[in-house]
Amino acid sequence: MIEITETDFSVDEVVNRIQTDKMGCIVTFVGIVRNNSNGKPVESIEIQVYEEMAVKQLDAIREEAISRFAIDDVSIVHRHGSLRVSEKIMMIAVGAGHRIEAFDACRYVIDSIKEKVPIWKKEYTPDGEFWVEGEKDE
Amino acid sequence: MKIKLKYFASIAEAVGMSGEEMELQDDTIVSNLVEALKERFKDFEEMSNVIIAVNGAYVDPNTLLEDGDVVALFPPVSGG
Repeated sequence: MIEITETDFSVDEVVNRIQTDKMGCIVTFVGIVRNNSNGKPVESIEIQVYEEMAVKQLDAIREEAISRFAIDDVSIVHRHGSLRVSEKIMMIAVGAGHRIEAFDACRYVIDSIKEKVPIWKKEYTPDGEFWVEGEKDE
Repeated sequence: MKIKLKYFASIAEAVGMSGEEMELQDDTIVSNLVEALKERFKDFEEMSNVIIAVNGAYVDPNTLLEDGDVVALFPPVSGG
């Protein structure tokens, strides 16, 4: 499942929706809004998305993860709009028979998202607002 | 032919719009369009690191543009 949404989502619901009887584990990654960036305070963020392309890219990343690793399924949810500190930004859930493949696939998916999917963060700080551009190594 | 341009994030803010339509010669390739836009928007440093996508896909700079294409210009991504 791929979903781009402005509203908050439930981690439990995403996990419950992906789970099947043959899975031995579900590895999840949840990205949240930090209250700091490069040592400076962050009050909130805004996320902009090029939705038509982002959905295509997320679908392609999901398909690649499923073909590359011994896993059963991948769900990706990503929010856009204004988000406050501690709110959820996105979530990945990987269901697999065994943990090693699930962890590896989850890492592959988040790294690919940070490299390829047209989504941008703008940070609102006491010093002004700044776009974050390229952060695949963070 | 006519294409549709879309601008995102810092590039949209720099050029002051989220998109526009543009007339191009029939044999224009992606790199020709990028050079023309970089020249047009040369006052904006945001354009120095621009990424291009055509119809929602990353493309080779030699790709021939076609009537009705949607060309997106954006900075390095920062989702996740």
